[in-house]
Amino acid sequence: MTALSVSVNTGHPTSPRLLRWLVRLHRPALWSWLGIVVVLSGALLWLGGPLTDASAAAWRQFNACGMGTCHYDQDSITRYKDAYNYLTYAVLVVPFAVAAWAGGSLVGREMESGTAQLAWTQGVSPTRWLATKLAAPAVLVAAGTGLLALLHHWAWSAGEGRIDTTKPWSSFETFYANGPVPVALALTGLAGGALIGLIARRSLAALVGGLCFTAFAWSATQLAMPHLWPTATSVTSLRHNGPSGAGITLSSGLLTSGGDRIADPYCGSDLSLQCKDLYTSLDAVSFYKDYHPESHFWPLQLMASGVLLVLAALLTLAVFRLLKHRTAS
Amino acid sequence: MTDTAGLAMEAADLGRRFGRARLSPAWALRGCAFQLPAGRVCAVVGHNGAGKSTLLALAAGLLVPTEGTIRVLGTDPASARARVGFVSQEKPLYPQLTIAETLRMGADLNPDHWDAATGERIVADGDLDPKSRIRALSGGQRTRVALALALAKRPDLLLLDEPMADLDPLARHELMGVLMSQAAQHGTTIVMSSHVVAELEGSCDHLLLIGAGRVRLSGEIDDVLTAHARLSGPAGTPLAPHTVIESRTTGRQLTALVRKSGPLPTDLHPATPSLEELVLGYLRNPGTSVTTTSPSEKAAA
Repeated sequence: MTALSVSVNTGHPTSPRLLRWLVRLHRPALWSWLGIVVVLSGALLWLGGPLTDASAAAWRQFNACGMGTCHYDQDSITRYKDAYNYLTYAVLVVPFAVAAWAGGSLVGREMESGTAQLAWTQGVSPTRWLATKLAAPAVLVAAGTGLLALLHHWAWSAGEGRIDTTKPWSSFETFYANGPVPVALALTGLAGGALIGLIARRSLAALVGGLCFTAFAWSATQLAMPHLWPTATSVTSLRHNGPSGAGITLSSGLLTSGGDRIADPYCGSDLSLQCKDLYTSLDAVSFYKDYHPESHFWPLQLMASGVLLVLAALLTLAVFRLLKHRTAS
Repeated sequence: MTDTAGLAMEAADLGRRFGRARLSPAWALRGCAFQLPAGRVCAVVGHNGAGKSTLLALAAGLLVPTEGTIRVLGTDPASARARVGFVSQEKPLYPQLTIAETLRMGADLNPDHWDAATGERIVADGDLDPKSRIRALSGGQRTRVALALALAKRPDLLLLDEPMADLDPLARHELMGVLMSQAAQHGTTIVMSSHVVAELEGSCDHLLLIGAGRVRLSGEIDDVLTAHARLSGPAGTPLAPHTVIESRTTGRQLTALVRKSGPLPTDLHPATPSLEELVLGYLRNPGTSVTTTSPSEKAAA
């Protein structure tokens, strides 16, 4: 009856070309993302290559100096330090940018302007619309953030043992920028931003909501991270100034002869008679420390990323359920 | 059992509530039941906020009912998505796209049932440059693009929420003509909401009157009109057993709009009301009980 003059395709139904329009509508965001990844990657390569080499050379000059006047390239050392710090922060900010975009632009603006409804009244179901909107950015976000974290790890390890002031592996920013946590956090931010965009239905509110959510997810990760893998315990003689073992410390103190753990009065080595008397009165026999040594880097990173990815999966499920609940899918 | 095959839209006990159930339940629509035969041009009339937009959004599958059911084209709104066109009141379009891109997007998102020529013609009739961006268009021009997008989809059911609101009279007349020829050529069922009754008289053949979230009146306009009468005569004349929709006494003169049941008293000079009189009579008196004429009599004919 209808559509006599329409070129009706009688074969199996063609699926709507949604991805093409997602790219077209978010072209500025796509170019910005590519720009950010390219610029930061280039900067990290520069950091791990020429900057590290120059700084290492300056440190060699400095360490070769005697007690007299010393000529070394101070500028190279500070340039490396500044570049390292800024680039580490830049890698850590990426998940926030992703969440803000996902909430504000990807979903929030479409809900606010009603263009989401426009898409849903074409031949595209809301579920399919959302799936495309989450899957395509997720691939790009994971690839881009993954590349940045990889290059950051490479740039950091290039300075190890060559630059005296290289950040230790357990330094807060370095630890997070060196592994897959930023990737997982960016994906969580994408899903969280989309959920907030769907709930808030307003662009600005969803943008702010996406940022707050990512800050919350990251804070929670930081609190949980040291507990996600069993700690190692070092026991050190009281002859030392304190417990040994470098890394992420959870607790430290004194061990009594009965094996009880008591607080460290921070007296120092028992070479001092005063401290020896104190330790004797406390019945302390050694220092102890519960901590994560460097070998725990990967288990901790993978566990924290895993927890974040589970959160991302739950949020994705929640977005789909909410959309299904609201619209006929 | 009613024959549901010939129905474009069918609602049973349809209700939609906004807001939290316990805190501030606000029913936009409740207890709606009606049937709309296919091939009709149906006017959805009611106050602002009566529930017209909610009803159309439910039919388009943009909302789900809180209670009851709505079926379109013999199936649920989700399954009918590809065969239903919808233009919402705000006419949302992507501001960064050009008109040509907007239509190309329509083609890509509606594979297998896209009539590019129709969309291009509607745009061209409005003297619009396909290369201009949506954000540069006026409200009326945007409406034209939104209608082009909906019509090029060649839908079996076209849902239009206040489609003509921001069009000048000339464009309104012309686009109404486009819609009517679409309905006539392809048998498209058109459901359009409006609170300007005059706009609908003459082009619509079916009426769905919504007041305070309920269907007050539904049926073929001719049937609905002949089922009512405008009466005028001496005050105090008993109007029973007819249902009084509206009555007014000025001095010794009584004028009333009634829904007939049985023969009318001839001393009251019965006359068939105009559509506008009828609609306004109902809208002015929201307390009158719900009356629904069966559309299936005509559907079966």
